[in-house]
Amino acid sequence: MSERELHRIGVVGGGMMGRSIATRVSQAGLSVVVRDITQERTAQVKDLLEKDLDREIDRWGLTQSEKKAILARIEFTTDLKKTAGCDLVIETIHEDFAAKRALIAELDEVLEPEIPVIINTSTLSISELAQGLQHPQRVLGMHFLYPVTTTRVVEVVKGQVTSEDAFETARRFVRVLGKVPIQEFESPGFVTTRVVMPLVNEAAHVVMEGVASAAEVDLAIKLGYEFRHGPLEWADRVGLHRILNWLEHLFHETGDAKFRPCPLIRKLVRAGQTGARVGKGFFTYDSERSRLDRLPDDTPKLS
Amino acid sequence: MKVLVLNCGSSSVKFQVIETSLEMIEADTDRTIARGIVEKIGLSDSRLAMDVPGRKTYQEIAEILEHRAAVERVLKVLAHPEHGVISDAAEIEAVGHRMVHGGEKFASSVRVTPEVEAMIEECVVLAPLHNPHNLRGLRAARSLLANVPHIAVFDTAFHQSMPPRAFIYGLPYELYTRHAIRRYGFHGTSHRFVSIRTARLLGRPLEELRIVTCHLGNGCSMAAVDRGHSVDTTMGFTPLEGLLMGTRSGDIDAAIIPWVMAMEEVTLAQLNAMLNKHSGLYGISGVSSDMREIEAACASGNKRAVLAFEIFCYRIRKYIGAYAAAMGGLDAVTFTGGIGENSSLVRAKTLENMEFLGIELDVDANRTAPRGTEALISRPGSRTAAVVIPTNEERVIARDTVRVLGGVMPSFSVPGTEAPR
Repeated sequence: MSERELHRIGVVGGGMMGRSIATRVSQAGLSVVVRDITQERTAQVKDLLEKDLDREIDRWGLTQSEKKAILARIEFTTDLKKTAGCDLVIETIHEDFAAKRALIAELDEVLEPEIPVIINTSTLSISELAQGLQHPQRVLGMHFLYPVTTTRVVEVVKGQVTSEDAFETARRFVRVLGKVPIQEFESPGFVTTRVVMPLVNEAAHVVMEGVASAAEVDLAIKLGYEFRHGPLEWADRVGLHRILNWLEHLFHETGDAKFRPCPLIRKLVRAGQTGARVGKGFFTYDSERSRLDRLPDDTPKLS
Repeated sequence: MKVLVLNCGSSSVKFQVIETSLEMIEADTDRTIARGIVEKIGLSDSRLAMDVPGRKTYQEIAEILEHRAAVERVLKVLAHPEHGVISDAAEIEAVGHRMVHGGEKFASSVRVTPEVEAMIEECVVLAPLHNPHNLRGLRAARSLLANVPHIAVFDTAFHQSMPPRAFIYGLPYELYTRHAIRRYGFHGTSHRFVSIRTARLLGRPLEELRIVTCHLGNGCSMAAVDRGHSVDTTMGFTPLEGLLMGTRSGDIDAAIIPWVMAMEEVTLAQLNAMLNKHSGLYGISGVSSDMREIEAACASGNKRAVLAFEIFCYRIRKYIGAYAAAMGGLDAVTFTGGIGENSSLVRAKTLENMEFLGIELDVDANRTAPRGTEALISRPGSRTAAVVIPTNEERVIARDTVRVLGGVMPSFSVPGTEAPR
């Protein structure tokens, strides 16, 4: 088996995840094709990606010339056929079975049979999505954790029929991104989502029961277990609608009561208070997504 | 003999073909036949440019995806019937490679063998930004030119003569024994070359001179060259320490780092980028990392540009004093590198009121020192000389290549400079 060199990567879907992945890939010196569905969308994606880079420049993480170099390696398109020359294609469209299914069927037509197709998902079944394709063995799953730019781990998920070649190439791709691949077999929620969801859900229950305020629950867990964010702020930053979606999916798949979504999360989502992005969730945030209502003890400390 | 010199960066390969031999080195008649660069490696519009004396710049744009392809391209162009300078790649008799970090393993330039390559690989951890690319270029060239000797020339080797009192940090000693954390210093090839040229220009033996060499370019460092040996240098474990640079902070209080990480909640990667890419002339002035633009901004009254300029010169001045004390005297100060060779303002500001150290600047000679030539810029009677010497690292690499092959390459290590283990 000869190793396929990775020079050009296709990213389908220009959401937060797609933009982060495209940025990372380009930063590693590879070229990227980012595909979204309309001209307006691709223009918007490019604009947002530039804004992401500007924010990183403000945080001293990037320079203007690096931004230029990163952008120079990214091509934006509405044409899925443009991914044909890619050595690996990853999709990052919304977490919807039918939409992902239709997309990978299309990719299956466009790409050479040996090109791996990566489904970016935290809950959907790889094997089910790949079923009936001409080349189902090329399909595998990947789960990037939030925030994609700094989190060092990626779950690489092997479906029932995924080939060893595709799996290996995908793991190498993760290394190119400067991240650590965790090999897993397909199972609902894989490892990280499955383990963290009960924590978030339980924290919401504790708040709902009035045991402690959201801020105190979060601070206790953050300081107690040395987390970067407490579970509720973390959920706010991921987006409570996503959290709810994952919980519902896990509950549906496993029938296990520990995944039954806490009514408080549902309530916030129904009120449109889905987290940091909209400025309000369990906590409140400014337009830069900095949290506004930190407790006095929740400040950076040198010792 | 024709020597190909390669300097491989993350997305570029710089190259020169130099005609040289032991006799030519002795007579100072070795010369560059062609020089060029491959840029934007990894992109579809990579650019190869080559200059041959007396000809127009040759240029081509084509997709070059990695270093091997770049070196292959360079060899093709060098042997091109119309644009090339050799009739066949076989005319190249040796290849000299610029390597950034040789750790404590290399105190000299060496011929590359599989063992040497493995030792260079072990140094990757010390220079993760540079050595992997250097190594990639080395491997590509060795596989493409398998029948000729390859010589590695290290930026750090010249400073291996420093005594432990200059290279050990005031940290728990285990950090040195476990992780080899110590001062290494960089730009060694340049400091070595210009110190030798300084002695030659002054018409005095190097073995009698105490020289402070100032390599002021994109990166800036100084060295105390005591009778031919580097005894201290401003860059340290990494090329971040010491002088203020275009975008690098140089010396700071290390305690600032955890403090900023906590207060600004930045990640290690962001902090590293802050110190290396957002600081220095650029960080202070907010104008530019380029000294020419800083000088222009100073002229139009930009106060932060003036401050950046003053800090830049002040640091150099401070180290001249320190190194004069370290060597117990001073015979010459040498300026080199893009800024050192071209900015008379930096040289003048740095050397003003240095008569106490015996430096009497010749203001006119400094201002009118012609570009690209060696020049004395101190007054004839000055007890300590000030000189400008254009550096030429590629030429040193080519010369070392010849010396290694001729068995006359000296080691820079000095007996009695090992630190206890």
